[in-house]
Order: sequence, then structure tokens, then C-alpha cells
Amino acid sequence: MEAVARKPGTVTPAGGVKRGPLTFWERVYVVEAARGVWITTVHFFRNMGYHFLHLVGLAKGRQAAVTVQYPEERRYLPPRSRTRHRIVRRDDGSPRCVGCMMCETICPARCIYIVAEEDPDPNIEKRPKRFDIDLGMCVFCGFCVEACPEDAIRMDTQMVDLAAYSRRGMILTLDQLLAGEPAGPVESINALGERVHG
Amino acid sequence: MWMDLAIKAGLAVVMMLIVINIAGIHSWVERKQSAVIQDRWGANRAGFTLNSPLWRWLNPLLRPIIYLGLFQPIADLLKLVAKENWSPVGGMKWLHAVAPFLYLLFAFAGFAAIPFGDTLHVAGRDIALQVASLNVGFVFIFAMAGLGVYGIVLSGVSSNNNYAFLGAVRGVSQMISYEVTLGATVIGIVMVYGSLDMQEIVRGQGALLWGWLPKWGVFVQPLGCILFFTAALAETKRIPFDLPEGESEIIGYFTEYSGTKFGMFLLADFVETVMVAALTTTLFFGGWQFPYLQASGFVFPWGAEVAVGHYAVVAIQVVSFLVKVIAFCWLLMTIRWTLPRFRYDQLMDLGWKRMLPVSLANIALTGLVILLIEAL
Amino acid sequence: MPKLTIDGREVEVAPGTTLIEAARRLAIHIPHYCYHRGLSIAGNCRMCLVEVEGVPKMMIACHTQAADGMVVHTDNDKCREYRAAILEFILVNHPLDCPVCDQAGECKLQNYYMEHGTAGSRVDEDKVKKRAKAKQIGPNIMLDSERCILCSRCVRFTDEITHTHELGITERADHSEITLAPGAWLDNRYAGCVVDLCPVGALTDRDFRFKCRVWYLTAVDSICTGCARGCNITIHVNRDRPHKAGGTRVMRYKPRENPAVNQWWMCDAGRYSYKQIDHERVDSAAVDGRPVAVEQALDASAAALKRAAAAVAVLCATTATNEELFLARALFAGALGGHAAYLAPPQGEQDDLLLLADQSPNTRGAQEILGTEVRDPVGWVKAHGVKAVVVVGEADLTGLKAEVDHLTVIATHPGKAAAQAHVLLPGSVHAEVEGTFTNHAGRVQRLRVAVPPIRGAVETWRLLLELAGRLGHPFDFAFEDDIFAALASQLAPFAGLSHDNLGRRGALLGSGAPQPTEVV
Ligand code: SF4
Ligand code: SF4
Ligand code: SF4
Ligand code: SF4
Ligand code: FES
Repeated sequence: MEAVARKPGTVTPAGGVKRGPLTFWERVYVVEAARGVWITTVHFFRNMGYHFLHLVGLAKGRQAAVTVQYPEERRYLPPRSRTRHRIVRRDDGSPRCVGCMMCETICPARCIYIVAEEDPDPNIEKRPKRFDIDLGMCVFCGFCVEACPEDAIRMDTQMVDLAAYSRRGMILTLDQLLAGEPAGPVESINALGERVHG
Repeated sequence: MWMDLAIKAGLAVVMMLIVINIAGIHSWVERKQSAVIQDRWGANRAGFTLNSPLWRWLNPLLRPIIYLGLFQPIADLLKLVAKENWSPVGGMKWLHAVAPFLYLLFAFAGFAAIPFGDTLHVAGRDIALQVASLNVGFVFIFAMAGLGVYGIVLSGVSSNNNYAFLGAVRGVSQMISYEVTLGATVIGIVMVYGSLDMQEIVRGQGALLWGWLPKWGVFVQPLGCILFFTAALAETKRIPFDLPEGESEIIGYFTEYSGTKFGMFLLADFVETVMVAALTTTLFFGGWQFPYLQASGFVFPWGAEVAVGHYAVVAIQVVSFLVKVIAFCWLLMTIRWTLPRFRYDQLMDLGWKRMLPVSLANIALTGLVILLIEAL
Repeated sequence: MPKLTIDGREVEVAPGTTLIEAARRLAIHIPHYCYHRGLSIAGNCRMCLVEVEGVPKMMIACHTQAADGMVVHTDNDKCREYRAAILEFILVNHPLDCPVCDQAGECKLQNYYMEHGTAGSRVDEDKVKKRAKAKQIGPNIMLDSERCILCSRCVRFTDEITHTHELGITERADHSEITLAPGAWLDNRYAGCVVDLCPVGALTDRDFRFKCRVWYLTAVDSICTGCARGCNITIHVNRDRPHKAGGTRVMRYKPRENPAVNQWWMCDAGRYSYKQIDHERVDSAAVDGRPVAVEQALDASAAALKRAAAAVAVLCATTATNEELFLARALFAGALGGHAAYLAPPQGEQDDLLLLADQSPNTRGAQEILGTEVRDPVGWVKAHGVKAVVVVGEADLTGLKAEVDHLTVIATHPGKAAAQAHVLLPGSVHAEVEGTFTNHAGRVQRLRVAVPPIRGAVETWRLLLELAGRLGHPFDFAFEDDIFAALASQLAPFAGLSHDNLGRRGALLGSGAPQPTEVV
């Protein structure tokens, strides 16, 4: 089909932006800059207007700000977002981790500290005696999850409020890691998203 | 003699307070305005609630202040002051400490030559509402702006950080490049009003063109006005010309600063913004002039006259000046939240290959027009 | 002499040489599991299959003797296909244990699989489970039969090298497994060697198990200090994961091949002697039992030695390096005009494989450098009218303190010597310095720095140098090799030797220059 001549910068049906040579006025830039300033100004006054209307109880249906007010409202995180780690438990509650130190080896931030010991069950053989992750150094790359041959470490708690009053406090121990829970099956996470985004 | 000094000192303090306050409020405006533009809330958390039964009734009053984020600048300030006063290992400690002072000092100094009202007659004295009545006012302002470069160079060099150093180099070359255009555009104004004295330039703008249009710089030098404003924007090193700073990505000359010293750079930035607004107002938008307001009162083009007392006239002038400055500050802020950053080669291209030739052409054109008018 | 072609390159070898050895002469590595140069040939793993032109079947390189005119291919498509097939067979019953297996990282199965294996197995039957996983078969050895590839190296070792016959293979086919002989316990003096021999993680060392991953370790050449044999070893150090094993730096010793000394083996006593490097060290100088800075202790010692003038002596334990001994001699017997001697080394058990009765690594060096052996320090001191003594190393010095005005001890561990000292200086162990030991047969062998001196300690040779400086006889030595150079120039048996030309296998005293190192 013959391509329709478009104004440069218009959005094509496929969703891409078609760029053509700039016109003279676009190259002068001042006009475009003024248009830009116009857009931001319009946004400003429109939003300000809504804010004032909201104050007096009007126009509640129109949004003036889309900000999620974080601690009170929580935003839906995609199921694959990398959040605070947890160690998966076996049915009997013991850690699924076998202390193979793959995660410790791959960790680019060198923030995993594992000390392994003999497991009384010879079929398990090895288990972590100490398993610390220093979240103060972690870069949340998720390599540890990728590297784990036992699927024992996951970053699906959806916990992002990680803060402590000391460096020491940023270190998660094995018990804390085992206490982590997955944020639930994907459906319920989606439901959370529905709730937040209406 | 002593009285004169005291009056000048008083004017200086007034000017200083105005500038610092506008600059300080900028940090709040910057947060809140950008938020509203971008459909956000912006700062709405900083603050406190009172628990004592004695003061509890104040809480409802505090709430809107918190909501508007008005405590945020205070919190920012407290944070900056409470931060570690760090100087980089291997850097030049002394220069590192001095650089922000120099920068802020020169940013402030320029305001001395900005008139914010006409002469005030009080108790038999003539008080020029200008800190320093210099007859080479704008040369002084440009000199101060030029000296500001030292703050940047020193901060970059003394930081013992290659990124900071490169940022300083970018900053200096940018400022120097745009100062040329800045100077060239103002020549047009000087030619039109025939003076280097800021007060005289403003007075010149009180005249009327064709009997009805105020003879403001923007009307006689439209091209010069746009060029000047752009070049001045580049002088402030704010978006879209923030290559020397680029806090989050390309890293600028104050990378190694923290705490109060960093705060001074921040403040100097806002002061420069106010400076640009004040200069644009003074040179192109009639300074303290209010349309059709003469020393005796309003004289409208259609012949009507409204007599206004001297103090009221001065008050209107000062307020008019402030309103214009604030409006420009607002525009500068809006631009900062509108345009994307230039690339460095684009920046240099724009400065040297476009704006400089156009501003030179502007001078020639102005000269031609002036000659033509005189010949007629 | 048969002349054959391997991978297009000609080589002439002695009659009876196997193909794997002939290839080795050309630095061609043929993958193998059961073959080991120190053991008899079993030929059971089939990993070493190579193609010999004119022979229809693939031949095992470890057992086929080179013949004149043979044309051998070790790396063509056919060889690679066979290797992949063999690996697939070996892995039929091999568990997916790598995450918990201590061998991972130095496992021949992993390595060859990465190099020659195919992705994925075509066998989807259940793996055969052996009777027990992770079973202790000796004081230091764990056996995991499921990981065993039945190469029989361990069995051959106990049959041929130690002649103790603890191990055997029982059952048949895929139920075969390594078993202890009835009533036996794998506790012979060299049992640890089966762990080194085992190409996979079937035999693991209980001492090393799970302490550290092998890829965290750095290997440094050194010499075992267990006896006068001077077995060649590598020290495995964990340099940058200090949270492992409670901060222990040295994780294990592994024997290093040296045909002239220990072949491929080392005894368990030596193997586990690494523990002393990080365990209970003297970590601070002391004057009369009071901890002080090393400088102060040196000052105190030097002052006391000065008062004694020429009535000084140094007594060195035979754990000191040649360099330290030489420095002691040069300072005390030379510059100060006093006496220098060595303390009689402690004696222990002996066997006919490696272990010698003399339990220190450098007795021969001390004989060459200091000459005089002292069995009774108290009597010796009395006989020579010595007023101040410096002791380097550990010894029983009971009664010595009462005989002399001053006693300085350079010690590494708190012990009988350290307890006696007026001035105690924290010295270094062999893993913390560059240097040399001379073994019982007069072979001078290199030590290399595996770890810096433990916190608080200083290299012993540096302490001696400092002392010399404070006594007004500074030596112009910057590093250990300077000291050795001086030693070689002054003592005839060492002539011609230097740190650089000792190589990895050492050189005999009086040889003038080291023998050329054997081909890999
Ligand atoms: S997410 Fe990345 S940085 Fe964080 S612990 Fe895992 S591997 Fe280390
Ligand atoms: S990779 Fe997995 S099994 Fe291995 S130590 Fe880490 S969490 Fe444990
Ligand atoms: S023996 Fe080798 S292949 Fe087998 S589990 Fe251990 S490391 Fe893995
Ligand atoms: S235990 Fe190791 S050395 Fe012994 S037969 Fe099995 S694989 Fe070979
Ligand atoms: S090495 Fe040749 S058969 Fe095992």
C-alpha cells in the first residue's frame, strides 16, 4: 500500500513514531519550545483547577494526580519483579537450599555469605548453617535466583520497603529469609493491580 | 555621608532578602510545579503533628501546610545542614571549600546594578532604588557573571574527581560561549536607549512608541529579546542547558559536594535564575515601568489622566518590577520542566553557529533602523 | 626406538611406552579416568579411546603400546563421538549431585562433560540407587557410591602403594560398588590420597567437606613441614571469602607431583598439618609476659643482647628456612662473634613409603648452615659461657632461663619455648614467607608465600634483620632471595643455586645448578 505522507513525528497505526525531515519552523525550535511550554502550562493549570475543585468537593471523578500514595496505597508489582529474597522451605520446613554456594559465587555484589554444614540426612548431605544476604549491598540483579540449581532462593516476596537504622540491620539471616512468604499466586497479584488501578 | 551609606546598606539588605526569598521559594515551586505539571502530588509529607494537649488545636492548621509541602524546603535545608561536611580525599581542601562561596558571591553581586524602582523622594533626599547606581551597570553585571566561572572551575579542579573536572570544563566552555551572544544581544538595547546605565535603560523604556505602545525592549528588539533569554537560560546552566551539572546521569562539577556547600551551589542556581528573570525584565520588559504610569500618575494614550501620589507611584513601580521578575521565574521553571536537554555538540552549534551570527545580524539591523529613523 | 605419529606430529619414544604417555611427550592431553601414572594400568573406564590407523576398533591409549609407524588420532570426529558416548554411559547412573558435591569445580566428570559431552542424555530409566549415600569409610574419608565411576584407582592405591587392601569392588554390573574389606577401616597413613586420586566426588575428605568451594581457592606451591622428606604440596588458600570456616585462611594441602621426592602422594599427618598455620598463633610481641609492640620488644631484645657482647648465641629449631638459618648464623656467629647452633629435631614414627622419623622439614639445611646440633641447650649454654640467647622456633628449653641473663624467643605458636622467653617475638610459619627447605636427601626446595603473616606477626627473617640493624650490624637484604643469594655465595654446597633456578622440583645440594625439569 502506498504510504500516506504524514506529518513528521506523527504516531503510526502500529504505534511507532514516524519521523521525517524537520520543517523550517521546527528547526527554528523557538516555536516548538513555545508549544512545549504551552502544553506544560495547560497541564499545570488544568491539574491545579482540579485540585481546587477537589478541595471544595467538586469534580471528584477527574484525576488531578496519578501518584500512588505509597505506604497507604501499594502499587501492583508485576509477578516477575525482583523484590526481597526468601529461601524456599521443604515440606518439613527445612530450607530447600543445599548450600551449594552458586548464588554466593555469581553474586556480583558479593553480598551473600554462606557457611555450609553436614545434614544429618545423607540423602540431603549438605545444608546451610549460615545464610546471610546483605541487602545494603545487594543490587537486586536476580542472578542468585537464576543460578540456584535447587530453586531455593526466590525474589518474589514483593517486599520493597527495605530499610534499617544500621548497616548491620540490612543483613538478612537465614531465619528471616525462611520467614519470607511469596506474595501469593499470580491471580491475586493481578487482583491487587485491578484494585489499585480501578 | 553616613546616612547615604546606611541607605545603601539598607537597599542592599532589601535586595538580598528579596532575592534569597525568591530563590528559596524556588526550591518549593520547583517541586510542586513539576509535580502538578506531571500529574503528580509532589512533596506532601514533610511536617510534624503536635501531641501536647496545649498545642493540639494547631494540628488542623498544620495539615494544609504539610499537604502543600511547605515544610519541605525547611526539611531540605535541615538535611543539607546536618549532612557530613565532606571534602574529597586528595582534593584541594581549601579551594574546595572556597569555590561555592565564590560562586554564590558573584551570583549575588550582579543584583547591585539592577534598579527595582525609580528615585524615591523622602525627607528631602533622593534615593535611587538601586543598590549601586553605576553608569556602566550592565558591564558590571556581565563581569560578575563572568567571574562566576571561577566558582565552577575551582570546584571542578579541587575535587580530585575526573567527572567533576570534566563537568567544570563543560560548564566553563558553555558559559563563555553564551556570554558572547549575551553581550552581543544587549548591544542592540544599548544602541536603542543610548546608555549602559541600567536605570537609564529602564527610564528609556517609559517612552511610548507611536503614542500608545510602551517602548519596552521586547518591542524594539524582539529578536534580541529571544536571543538574550535563550543565552541567559544557558548561563544559568539549567535544563535544557544543564550539561555541566546533569546531577543524575552525566555528573557535574559539584559531584564531590555535600551538605551546606552543596546547598550553596543549589542556592546559587536559583539566584542565577532570579538574575536572568530580573535582567530580562530590566532590559526588555520595562524594568519597574508600569504601562502609562508617569511620575505624576497615569497618562493614558487617549488623553485621560489619573493623578497618583509619589509614594504610591514608587510602590506600583516596585511591585510591577517584582511581579514581572516572578513571572519570568515562573516561565523559566516551566521551561525547565518542558524541554529535554541538548546534546553537547548541539549546544555548541547553537551558541556559536546560530545565535552568535543572528545576534550580530541583529546589531547591524538595529543600527540600520536607527540610521533610517534619524534620516527620516 | 618406535617412532609414531600422533595428530600429525612425529615422536620417538622408548619401547613399551603407552600411547597416552607418548602423547604427553607432545603435550597432547588424552582424557582419562582410570589411568594414573603412579598406579598399574586398569583400562576400565574407556575414556581414553583413540583411533589408530589400520586398526578397526578404537584403542585405549592408556594400555596400547606405541609401535613403529603407528598413526594415531586423538582429536578427530570419531574420537569425540566415542568420548561423548562413553560419558553418556558413565552418567547413566550418576546422580545430579554437583550442587552438594565437594568435587564440583575440580571434577573430571564435570570438566570432560563440558569439553566432550553431549547436551542431555538419551537414557530415561531411573538411576540405580546404591545401598547408602554419604557413608564414612575411614576417619577422614566419606564414600558416596552413587557418584563412583568405578575407575578402581582407590582400590589400586590401597593394593599397590600402601599394600593395606582396605578397598574392593563388590556386586556386579550397575550394582557394583566400592566396599570396605570385611572388618577394615580406611585408616592407613596415606588414606587421604584416595581423595586426590578419585576423579569424581565419590571419595571426599571429611576435613574439607563443605568448608569452602574449590573455585574460591588459590593454589600456592610449597613444601610440607611434617617430616624431613619435604613432600611437595600446594597450599590451598581462601583469600577473599573470610566468612568461610571461621576465618581460616588455609583450607587444605594437596600433594604435588615430584618423582624425586614424594611421587604423587603425601601422608595424612602432613596433609592435616595445615591447621597449625591459622590455629592459636602468637599474635603479639611480649616482654616478660606483657604484650608490647614488636618494635619495643625488638628494642628490649637488642639492648639485652648488647649487654652480653660476644657472649651471645642463637639456637634455631629445624623448622626455620635456610634463609632464616643463614641470617641467624651471619648475625650471631659472624657479626657478633657469638655462637650459632640448631636444636635437635623431634623424632617420630617412620615407614617405608614417605614418612621419616625426623619430624622437621629442614634438619639437613640446619646441618649444612649451622653445623652444630644441640641436644641439651642448658648444658651447651653453660659450656660456652653464653649470657644471652635467641631461640628461633619451638623447643623444650626447661631450665634455660635460669642459666642465662636474657632469652629472646621468636615463636609462631605458644609453647614451651614461648613460655620461657624474656622477650617474645611473633614470627612466621613456612606458608608466610618465600624461602627454601633442604630435605633429608639434600634437595633444596622452594616455599612460596601463600598468605601474609597472620595479624600481629612479622616474617621471622625480617625480625632477625631488624635485630641486626638494632645491634649495629645492618644487612643489605631487601627480600628473601637476596639472603639466599648470599647463602649460595658463602656456603659451597649451595653454590650455583638461586630462588629462580630451583624450579618447582628443587635441586640437590652440590649439584651446582638444578636438573632440567621433566617434560610435563
Ligand atoms: S540479587 Fe544479585 S546482588 Fe542481590 S543477592 Fe542476588 S545475586 Fe547478589
Ligand atoms: S544457589 Fe540455591 S541451593 Fe545453592 S546456596 Fe544458593 S540458595 Fe542455596
Ligand atoms: S562427582 Fe562431579 S559430576 Fe558427579 S556430582 Fe560430583 S561434581 Fe558433579
Ligand atoms: S571411589 Fe573414586 S577412585 Fe574409587 S573407584 Fe570410585 S571413582 Fe574411582
Ligand atoms: S584411562 Fe584408559 S581406560 Fe581408563
